[in-house]
Amino acid sequence: MADASKPVTADETQADDAARGRLAKGGKRRLSFASAASILGGLLLWELAGRFLVRNSLFLATPTQIVEEIVKLAASGELQLHMWTSGQEFFIGLAIAIVLGIAVGFITASSRLGDRTLGPWVTALYATPTIAISPLIILWTGIGIWSKVIVVVINSIFPMIINTDAGLRATDKHLLDAARCFGASRWQLFWKVSLPAAIPFVLAGIRLAVGRGLVAVVVAELFGARAGLGYLLIQASEVFNMPRLFAAVVILAVTGIVLTWLVGRAERILLPWRFAGDDR
Amino acid sequence: MTPKLEVRDISKSFGTLEVLRGISIDVADHEFLAIVGPSGCGKTTLLRTIAGIETSDTGSIRVDGKQVTKPGADRGFVFQQDCLFPWRTVWENTIFGLEINGKVSAETTARTRQLLQLVGLTGFEKYYPTQLSGGMRQRVNLARALAINPEVLIMDEPFSALDAQTREVMQLELTRIWQQGRKTVLFITHQIDEAVFLADRVVVLGRRPGRIKEVVPIDLPRPRGLAVKRDPRFVTYVDRVWNLIENDVRDSVREDATVAS
Repeated sequence: MADASKPVTADETQADDAARGRLAKGGKRRLSFASAASILGGLLLWELAGRFLVRNSLFLATPTQIVEEIVKLAASGELQLHMWTSGQEFFIGLAIAIVLGIAVGFITASSRLGDRTLGPWVTALYATPTIAISPLIILWTGIGIWSKVIVVVINSIFPMIINTDAGLRATDKHLLDAARCFGASRWQLFWKVSLPAAIPFVLAGIRLAVGRGLVAVVVAELFGARAGLGYLLIQASEVFNMPRLFAAVVILAVTGIVLTWLVGRAERILLPWRFAGDDR
Repeated sequence: MTPKLEVRDISKSFGTLEVLRGISIDVADHEFLAIVGPSGCGKTTLLRTIAGIETSDTGSIRVDGKQVTKPGADRGFVFQQDCLFPWRTVWENTIFGLEINGKVSAETTARTRQLLQLVGLTGFEKYYPTQLSGGMRQRVNLARALAINPEVLIMDEPFSALDAQTREVMQLELTRIWQQGRKTVLFITHQIDEAVFLADRVVVLGRRPGRIKEVVPIDLPRPRGLAVKRDPRFVTYVDRVWNLIENDVRDSVREDATVAS
């Protein structure tokens, strides 16, 4: 064997990676600092504007007022009640949307008949802002939690269907051929090739579904509810309680950030090959 | 003596387009046979037929005298490029064929470990394909095909996506690995010097329809090193094959130009 053909050892590659990692870490730290400075600066300007410029708590609540309000809501147990209600509606709806969406996406991707019968509905409803029919859903199914679950499902399911379908279809033809050459059955082709190839698409679908579901919960609660963050928001706005209204908004924003972060973590765990070699 | 792999009178048309006409090739046990042809000579169709994922209009494929009609572990495939599963590590990719055929055992696992050592990938078992260079990926591809211990190894332009230097290194590596077990190999390429360097015989295909033009036995001593490429006999062989397909290549280039414009 010629010397040139000797492969580099694993150790050498790892040492390389480590060196690159150190460089990246320095850059990353600077970027995190920039983000933190930007957020803190923004909050400070907001606080100053609220205290010295607008000075009317009917229009603008300052960050400190919002924090105070959140603490008050938490102390009285109201916050927990609203979060629990909205959380139930959201997670039940999201779970149904994910399971059902993957199933429907699988049908449209793998059966021509399924594609022809379900496809037009999916396309039409995906293009429709289904959030607009939430008052109708509330009217039909009452103000309990299930009406909100339904609104979450009809909003979150479409990205799931479309992404699952696209992911299964986008499976590299060469990979399928390679598996076939090794004698893979149809079932093995699905489990060992199409499905793993589709997972990144499915996870991207979940990311979208989470965002849409969160909006759906709040909007559905605006139209009729007895509890929930959307309910808290509309109640506060009706009595011009700005700190409380902003508190609801802030909690929703934080929830959105946390959920998106969780999906990101899930991606890293489920798709190690996509992040292999990255600096974690 | 029965040939290891027998391709008998394979013809195939897609509609009015005749792709293959009466292809017959016998590959003897322990023989390294290369097929060279310009684009449009039906290499891919021939390969898919041998793999058993495409049916031909006429003719038959036999391995050890037994007719084959569907994929099986008697034929191992190395593909053009990036046919590794990106979500599987080097190790998981290598045992894919064993998994599909339900043959993962302590014995096959140990053998696969040896194979990874043979192709120079020990220590990389847990790497994902995206972390490897093109040359290393093709080593995994080779190990994956050898892991099922096939009767015949079929390689479809395995080095075509590699840069020129890596390709030379891989050719040398392949001869080294092949010398160890002398597995029967059917090697498809469009690279004439690659075919001459590696093979015992070179089958030259013509295009439209794909048919055998000539079979050129390569009488060069083994084991072959890169010095062989400067041997006058080597150069003569390359010239001869080139003369056989030159017009076809010019046709195909002209056609590509027409399609492009």
